[in-house]
Amino acid sequence: MHNEPGGSSFDIKGILKAQCNRSPMLFIDRVCHCVPGQSATSEKNFTYNEWFFPTHYEDDPNVPGFVLVESLVQSFLMTFLSLPEHFGSRTSFLTIKETQFRRRVVPGDRLVIDSTLTSLKRGIATGTSIGRVDGELAVSTDVTIGLPKILEKYKPKT
Amino acid sequence: MSNIATYTAAFVDAFRVDETQVADLAYQSIEQWDSLGHMQLMSDLEERFEIEMDIDDITDFSSFSKGKEILGKYGVAFDA
Repeated sequence: MHNEPGGSSFDIKGILKAQCNRSPMLFIDRVCHCVPGQSATSEKNFTYNEWFFPTHYEDDPNVPGFVLVESLVQSFLMTFLSLPEHFGSRTSFLTIKETQFRRRVVPGDRLVIDSTLTSLKRGIATGTSIGRVDGELAVSTDVTIGLPKILEKYKPKT
Repeated sequence: MSNIATYTAAFVDAFRVDETQVADLAYQSIEQWDSLGHMQLMSDLEERFEIEMDIDDITDFSSFSKGKEILGKYGVAFDA
């Protein structure tokens, strides 16, 4: 199944249906393999046409760290937004931890991201994302994301 | 570590407050204890005490003191 809730792969049309990020803040191009509720493998192709390269930096273009983190997180989102019950839901950052940058990512690089969902409970998703370029570790992080519409059900009575 | 020390540490870690402040905490009494902070606290407490709380207990968990009462239902005692 492709581009549908519960699907095993998503192109850009499916990604736009599954999550709320939009250009210029959408940082995955394709989810090549997805096991909803478990994992996602995504790709992001960085070309010199990206809006940040001319200024980061003019004489040495490379992908800003926050963009790499956002790419990792957007891939991670697909591990649970691919589930029919969460498809298209809004999300919010809770924590990012243990983020490591190991390799510069430059125009022409394809970042391949392996994301794993370790826990999804009461609107809180926890897991890891690892990004590689040509098989070489570039960036990794642990991440926790909230689903506000679920969290709302559990907030204390006041 | 005693149960009260574990319980206090969960609040300190979740909300980045000093342990002398936790006894007076209630939901939304500090900006860190919002709906997101609440769920992080609940998950942390479940992990620390190896319990799983019902939704009614999670929504009743409105303060530090009320929380002790609720955890008592799961066998977490705070008496010396």
